[in-house]
Amino acid sequence: MEFTVKSYRFNPEIDEKSYYKEYVLNDFPGMTVLNALMKVKAEIDGTLSFRRSCRSAICGSCAMKINGITKLACKTQISSEIEKFGIIKVDPLGNMPIIRDLIVDQEVFFDKIKEIKPYLLGKKDYIEDDFKALKDGEKIKQPVYYKTEFQTLTGNNDTPNCILCECCYSECGGVVANPKYLGPAALAKLYRYSEDPRDNDKNGSRLVNGSKPAGMFDCVLCQACEEFCPKGISPVKTIVKMHEKAIKNSITFSKGAKHIIGIARSIQETGRLDEIKVAVDSVGISGILNDLPVAIGAGLKGKMPPLRLKLIKDMEDIRVAFKDLNLEEKHD
Amino acid sequence: MLKHDVVIVGAGLAGLRACIELRKRGVDAVIVSKVYPTRSHSGAAQGGVNAAFDENDSWESHFFDTVKGSDYIGDQDAIEILTSEAPANILELQKMGVVFNRNDDGGIAQRPFGGQSFPRSCYYADAVGHMMLHGLFDNVLKYDTKIIYEYFVTSLVVDNGKISGVAAYDIKEGKFHGIAAKAVLFATGGYGQVYSSNTNALINTGDGMSVAIKAGVPLMDMEFVQFHPTTLKSTGILVTEGARGEGAYLLNSLGVRFMSKYAPKAMELAPRDVVARAEQTEINEGRGVDGAILLDVRHLGKEKIMEKLPQIMQLSIDFEGVNPIYEPIPIRPGAHYSMGGIKTDNNGRTVLEGFYSAGESACVSVHGANRLGGNSLLDTIVFGRRAGIDIADYIKNVDFSKFDESTVKRDEEIFENIKKSAGKERHGLLKTELQEDMRKNVGVFREESLMKKAIEKIEELKERAKNVGVDDKSHLFNTDIIEAFEFKNILLIAEIIAKGAVMRQESRGAHYRNDFPERDDEKWLKHTIAKLNSKGGIDFDFSPVKITKFKPQPRTY
Repeated sequence: MEFTVKSYRFNPEIDEKSYYKEYVLNDFPGMTVLNALMKVKAEIDGTLSFRRSCRSAICGSCAMKINGITKLACKTQISSEIEKFGIIKVDPLGNMPIIRDLIVDQEVFFDKIKEIKPYLLGKKDYIEDDFKALKDGEKIKQPVYYKTEFQTLTGNNDTPNCILCECCYSECGGVVANPKYLGPAALAKLYRYSEDPRDNDKNGSRLVNGSKPAGMFDCVLCQACEEFCPKGISPVKTIVKMHEKAIKNSITFSKGAKHIIGIARSIQETGRLDEIKVAVDSVGISGILNDLPVAIGAGLKGKMPPLRLKLIKDMEDIRVAFKDLNLEEKHD
Repeated sequence: MLKHDVVIVGAGLAGLRACIELRKRGVDAVIVSKVYPTRSHSGAAQGGVNAAFDENDSWESHFFDTVKGSDYIGDQDAIEILTSEAPANILELQKMGVVFNRNDDGGIAQRPFGGQSFPRSCYYADAVGHMMLHGLFDNVLKYDTKIIYEYFVTSLVVDNGKISGVAAYDIKEGKFHGIAAKAVLFATGGYGQVYSSNTNALINTGDGMSVAIKAGVPLMDMEFVQFHPTTLKSTGILVTEGARGEGAYLLNSLGVRFMSKYAPKAMELAPRDVVARAEQTEINEGRGVDGAILLDVRHLGKEKIMEKLPQIMQLSIDFEGVNPIYEPIPIRPGAHYSMGGIKTDNNGRTVLEGFYSAGESACVSVHGANRLGGNSLLDTIVFGRRAGIDIADYIKNVDFSKFDESTVKRDEEIFENIKKSAGKERHGLLKTELQEDMRKNVGVFREESLMKKAIEKIEELKERAKNVGVDDKSHLFNTDIIEAFEFKNILLIAEIIAKGAVMRQESRGAHYRNDFPERDDEKWLKHTIAKLNSKGGIDFDFSPVKITKFKPQPRTY
């Protein structure tokens, strides 16, 4: 079968602006998008530039937009793309500056990974005891960790399987809204270490740092990270779990945590979402004053929420439900 | 010019492990890598890493298995270090944050692997390389290490028999830089791209080995190339030995578990050289299925496959269109691992003062003529760690040597000349020709007439390589020129492999000669040492094998 690869091209050293270039190829059974790009580069046009390494979906080099959707080129079959779109259109990842063609600048992404302290926190350095024991001819004793202690870290779709390919970051709505937002991969990594039974994070510093502005409460819950992860991981689920964990551990200084607590309280008290009260709970009176122009604008357009809410009919059920959830004492 | 006490080239497991040892001692060590560290090929290791933990197991048994696996050409002093230090190294990784699957009693779970007399392969499902790579990389970040990534090292800079640094090309900016160092460690991995059907990443082009031999550092035992028995039929992508460790069968077209003929005791868990040859024999004798063998995991059941082998399940679906829960996986042998490499001692030192190597790029030698599954990850962490410790000691008492910029200028000219060349040969096509030829003529079964053909082909390609031009003349992220240079590296490595293989007139481990089917200890129980001569040809020499405990015996499984 003959098919066309249409690639985004831009080399700022030569080109004034970006353009698309088309290459016509013949496929072979099992041909992937990466195979196609490599064929173009080897046989037709050596200037087409992209990253690649393992070609088996474990190194994360070849993430790009294929027919508008962020994927790994190495595990995307030509045949299924052609069937759906009739063409292989490739573009560089989103949310990152383009260096050239399909190659983006990943510096900020990796800086964010580093920022979450992706390693076990603790007092001591690696102990040399085992090597000493070895020299003395002793049999080394293993520390005991039960399966349950690693329950959230050893499943097929658990966060340690992240390959840092940036697919999630490329599609992340949170990064679009706030380029400083840590993003799903870094937060999934934060979760991975916060769940590790060996992590010695006594004062909850991981969740405190993760709650700072541009942290986990900047997630817009769009779920793109889950949808586009080539390894089946759901960063957004781990982010929500961390929201819960932070609030349960009284790490509630962030606007995001206050917002969540405000909503819970409003529902608990009235059975309804009291938007004004939630706004006050989240950002305080000064925050409200800052947002006053927006509020007035909304009011003029008839979008003002009611000042007082009536209790709903089944309020007693709500109270029972909240009692079951046993959240009350942890709100303050 | 950049200047650091230690430059670590390559950021797979060996490089990262050495780096941690240096950084925790406060040494100014930097990582230089042609890809970002997490893109390194160590991450593709699937099945396991060996260490004798169990009460009923012993490192001495692991020691013997490895010596026997190597077909007695591995150096026993080095293998003793590898196996005796294994448990402590694994526990140290665990302290660093690496996660392993667990037993019911709370210890590290272990699975059987080929050629091992006890289940001693520690694992994280079927992605232990990925787990270790990311775990170690995270620790390198902990020590706030400078990572100079997407830099391609083209030469060692040497002054008076001592290392003074490297010449490196900044891929992003398209500029050459000298990087001065008191010590340089090459942890640059293997050369799987020499062969057409291989399990390796596209970046595995033997760069470190080529650069080393060009600087006068000898390579050892390069004719020993491991062919992995289970790689996906159409792509060569790895299917872990852990599948057989978990109980998978190998079937021929008659549905027979043919390993009973070749290794009646070990069956599917014979060492890789034995299984690869058995498969190739079945295929050659007409009992293959469309040129492949079937790997059957169906009887393990959906639950076990999903829990223990999720990655290979997904790879089979994505790359072979086969769901192993319901259908056997078509596989065949593919080039996988380089037993040979830069000759080092047990601390990673080479003959060039201040220049070290560890991991697949090095040959200590612990794998001899055939590596056992689960021993390569172990090699990277044991000898990466030892190299790191040794370098930290070494640099205390030495100063920077004179850095001769002319090496950097020379490499810059080579690159500029390739760019200026009007040559019409395309390196991408020459590479394919070379890979196909090596697969056919210097593969699982070898004989003089075929290998001579390969050498002729290599000579032809060397001539044609002089006419290689590149389409891309720009500076910014020019991957065309990198690939052109990588092609020259694999061409040199291919020549060393082929010539060494012709010379070794015996069958040992992965090196099997139809024309010399027996092992010949009298003549060939010795390491092959390759060096470049002044005309660019290859000179061979030999060095003795260190035998401390186990005298060579017939090797049956």
